[in-house]
Amino acid sequence: MKLAPKRRFPVWPFRRSVQLLVVVALFAFPVIARYNHYLAARQLDKQIERWEGSTQGLVLQVTDAALRVGIPDGESGVPTRRPRRAILERSRGFHGSPWSAEVGGVSLTDPLAATESACASWAAPWVLISGLLLPLALTVLLGRVFCGWICPMGLLFDLSAWVRSLLPKLLEIKPLDLRFSRGTKYLLLAVGLALALLTGDAVLNTFYPPAILGREAHSFVFALFDRAEDGMPGLALVGVTGGTAFLLLLMGLEVAVAPRFWCRTVCPGGALYSLLGRWRLVRVRRKRDVCIDCTICDKVCPQGELPMTDRTVSECDNCGECIDACPVRALGYRIAVTSKPMTGRPLPVATSATVATVAPLTPEGVSLAGAEPAELPEGGAS
Amino acid sequence: MLTRKEFMKAGTLLGASLAAGFGFHGGTRARADVMRPPGALPEDEFLARCIRCARCGDACPNQCILPFTEETGSPFSLTPGAGQVRTPAIFPRRQACSLCVGSEGDELRCTAACPTGALQVIKKTPEAIQEKVSMGRAEVDPNLCYSFQGSSCGVCVQACPFERRALKAGLFERPEVDPEVCIGCGLCERACIRYPQAITIVPDMTRAT
Repeated sequence: MKLAPKRRFPVWPFRRSVQLLVVVALFAFPVIARYNHYLAARQLDKQIERWEGSTQGLVLQVTDAALRVGIPDGESGVPTRRPRRAILERSRGFHGSPWSAEVGGVSLTDPLAATESACASWAAPWVLISGLLLPLALTVLLGRVFCGWICPMGLLFDLSAWVRSLLPKLLEIKPLDLRFSRGTKYLLLAVGLALALLTGDAVLNTFYPPAILGREAHSFVFALFDRAEDGMPGLALVGVTGGTAFLLLLMGLEVAVAPRFWCRTVCPGGALYSLLGRWRLVRVRRKRDVCIDCTICDKVCPQGELPMTDRTVSECDNCGECIDACPVRALGYRIAVTSKPMTGRPLPVATSATVATVAPLTPEGVSLAGAEPAELPEGGAS
Repeated sequence: MLTRKEFMKAGTLLGASLAAGFGFHGGTRARADVMRPPGALPEDEFLARCIRCARCGDACPNQCILPFTEETGSPFSLTPGAGQVRTPAIFPRRQACSLCVGSEGDELRCTAACPTGALQVIKKTPEAIQEKVSMGRAEVDPNLCYSFQGSSCGVCVQACPFERRALKAGLFERPEVDPEVCIGCGLCERACIRYPQAITIVPDMTRAT
């Protein structure tokens, strides 16, 4: 029999889909803002025609098609006319960046943004709190999921980790592996909030990567359309500033010097999410009797947690990489308030043969798809 | 517990990140007088509340709200000062506030989009706009204005949403600003055919709603 059948629903496809959706939104929201602008001024068709065959024209056409889904054509009794009012109404509901956005009419604000604003201004108006409700509820229930599932920088840092894993094979370079105390980010969060409280100046947002990424995406998209309005349609690297250089520097450092140091050690947002998610209800838990002590999960954890020794307290972002990597399916999401191991039905065999089969799967060999199922010869003891 | 070595490492990293943060922050330059979107709180309070999310800029149907940076400010000789980098600003010479005329919704859209209350919600009625919006005041430079120089123009008067109240045409179409009525939308500055503009907005940095 198979000892470790492939998970029917591995975690990574869901997680990557969510992350990609966020990246698409990152660029789509400023595009929608421009689309809305042209539509409001009754210039949309003119601009699409003017930029025919260039990126801007194509992007506007795609946006138009996407926003019109489900809205029947026709307005003011003219059946062929674009349903302008309905599209304007709908497109209003999608704007902003990962820092603060409106998605489908629901206002969402990063808890770090809200906390910093409240500290700097000594005020917490209802509009601030209402945007905080959903992110806060998600974090309290699911933990640091923003980091693992939503933050677009998480995806870029995963990319850095992948590049890093290629270095020894392709270039025969062994990158440095510096580790820093994970407590530093809490200190940084405290310093930032204290500065805000005392000086009324918001500092954290200036180096919080998802906020920077949102601004850079906006500035890039708007600059592209501005160029097109000036008669130069087409793609170009415009509008990007020092923020992009800063993010590239971080990625470079993660590749060559210290893997995942930003999320583990520095990120003040990660620190806040960790604190809020400390008593989360959905946790990764280990079935003690199933686990074969292979430590693969400890090696793949992006946050440097140790699922095999059940030390997944507050840093865990429920990304599920350990769950996918586990060759015997000993790890899984559970509704629980503790990360202590649980008993589970012992798997048929957990012998040295099993360990020998999975041992070659070093972290470098573990693909994003999770470990290939380890198979025992037919007729293993049941 | 932190070991001494870890503490030193962490301290170095902290210092470096703070320095980088202050670098991006714009240092301690004096603040610029820049026009803010409608409903903005007085400058100190506005800067404390604003999270630089750009939602007001996205929501603006006229796309007149830009993040205030060295680049966006430079055509108008404005440089962001302490804490002003990336905050929303209107440069009326480029694009003025249309007060959401002709767009959907019951509120001025930037004010409805703001997630922190840095922009206070303002209803889209002439009364509410007159009472609560205070972005600045228009000022005429008679040395530049054509109507004071022997020609008659009157373009700014035509552009004013509070025509014949905020901006009146006097003799030879000479514009006369009533500072009690003018809310500083900047449509007159945008419309002015003189370069440099003869009518400009002086931002109101003490605005309150």
